[in-house]
Amino acid sequence: MNSNKPVVPGAVITVFVDGQPVQARRGQTLAAALLALGHSVLRRTRHSGKPRGLFCAMGICYDCVVTVNGETGVRACMKRVEDGMQVISPAQFKRYEPRK
Amino acid sequence: MTVELDTDIAVVGAGPAGLAAALAAAGAGARVTVLDEYPEPGGQFYKQLSSEFSVPERARLDDDYTKGDELLAAVRDAGVTLSPETLVWGSFEPGTLSVMQGHAAGTVRARSIIVASGAYERVVAFPGWDLPGVMTPGGVQTLVKNQQVAPRGRIVLGGSGPFLLAVAKSLIAAGAKPAVIYEATRPLEWLRHAPRLWGHWDRISEALHYRRLIAAAGVPVRFGRIVVRAEGDARLERVVLMECDGEGRPIPGTEQIERVDTLCIGYGFVPSVQLARLLGCTHRYELRRGGWVPEHNEEMESSVPSVFVTGEVAGIGGAHVALAEGRLAGLGAARRLGLQVADAAMADARQERLTRRRFGDLVNDVFALKPGVYDQIGDDTLVCRCEEVTARQIREAATEWGADVNFVKGVTRCGMGYCQGRVCGGMVEELTARTVGCSREAVGAFRVRPPLKPVQVGSLADLARE
Repeated sequence: MNSNKPVVPGAVITVFVDGQPVQARRGQTLAAALLALGHSVLRRTRHSGKPRGLFCAMGICYDCVVTVNGETGVRACMKRVEDGMQVISPAQFKRYEPRK
Repeated sequence: MTVELDTDIAVVGAGPAGLAAALAAAGAGARVTVLDEYPEPGGQFYKQLSSEFSVPERARLDDDYTKGDELLAAVRDAGVTLSPETLVWGSFEPGTLSVMQGHAAGTVRARSIIVASGAYERVVAFPGWDLPGVMTPGGVQTLVKNQQVAPRGRIVLGGSGPFLLAVAKSLIAAGAKPAVIYEATRPLEWLRHAPRLWGHWDRISEALHYRRLIAAAGVPVRFGRIVVRAEGDARLERVVLMECDGEGRPIPGTEQIERVDTLCIGYGFVPSVQLARLLGCTHRYELRRGGWVPEHNEEMESSVPSVFVTGEVAGIGGAHVALAEGRLAGLGAARRLGLQVADAAMADARQERLTRRRFGDLVNDVFALKPGVYDQIGDDTLVCRCEEVTARQIREAATEWGADVNFVKGVTRCGMGYCQGRVCGGMVEELTARTVGCSREAVGAFRVRPPLKPVQVGSLADLARE
């Protein structure tokens, strides 16, 4: 972050996204950290498999749900990053195929 | 683990209205607790920075940080208890609120409840609005202002209302200058409202300040144009815009393609009435103030005794309305508890609210939602993002099942997903009303049920165990 900005985010920490270590800043929401890393697609929808990303960013729309430390349905826009946090983006989930 | 709390007044929402209400009620001698879902108080308008962030020069921050700081300091000095990260998800007996703090469920008991749950953005669907890269203006503002992360690439603002200018200002300050702002209304249409500006000098100078700042940054504002389509493969790449007439209907032959990486689009705000409706407050449909709004008396008490409503939830009007109306609701609730509130203070608060509401209504009228904006919702357009329900399914269900959005919901599953109809509700009501040919009052609104937002079953089970 540019040093002449009036606000400096917290210390650099490591978050694991789909198993890959990435850097985030303490105090950030997971949504902001993922956006800063260039993750525009956060998940695929369960019926049509279409990509979805951050939409309302204020806890209303639930389009940014991810799995955090095993807990499903966590809104990335409401969750603060923590060191060592394990994030699985449902974009990695296989599309559900009904059994014949 | 469970949570138990007793208080005189429980305020739900720590935005301008909730904080002003808490301050006024505590000043009159009430014990007040403010419950809010977010980690920091302030709501969307006075949203605070994370305590993990450092601010070397507080003076360089926006005014709303300073004003938010001052209000919060006054609230804390008055002995108000702030309870962040507390979701109010239900109410099963009068005077009680069911809450969730992390994974701990619990109950808050209060002699009065002040609902100050604010508002969220109204997005009207168009083909491609579900593509990553399409966002609400408020969402983008939160990212740049509070998270210090700017969306990448070419940013375009669309929709309608003064909030687009506020978001443009935040983007400019963050060094992520938007390429252009597309506003659905035209200045010529505003003229007939001009006489009502008289007297609101502070708000006029504020608007001019925004306008100057945006002009100085070289961001063009184009009027009378709406986004009719968004396109891209895995994410947003371009949008199609069209000129529209006074009713918001696109004018054939005016298509224009704009390359866009991030589209911020919103047509004003919708009151967040889920809790007020769950508490049983009578609501009426008032498009001018954002849609369904709870009815209230002149001291902001709703149709349910000892339940007050205030700020955006009582009708869209902006932060100045919220501050004035919050104070009135706080004084009203304190008086309802039998505490002494001077008649002069009450009268002053009532007058201030009326003045601010007048300006809020003027802004609402200038940027009134144009009905033609809904014409972009073609049959194949997605309406319910959570359950992936298209406009065709909604129109067919409305044709078959008639004028009740709850039938349409039952048949199509629209509004049954994670967001519980917050995003699609207004659109489903509008599409149903148009299909059947009746009023919004006649089709009603999605029923609200606890939990108001998803909670974990295990946490609820703890409540039964303890």
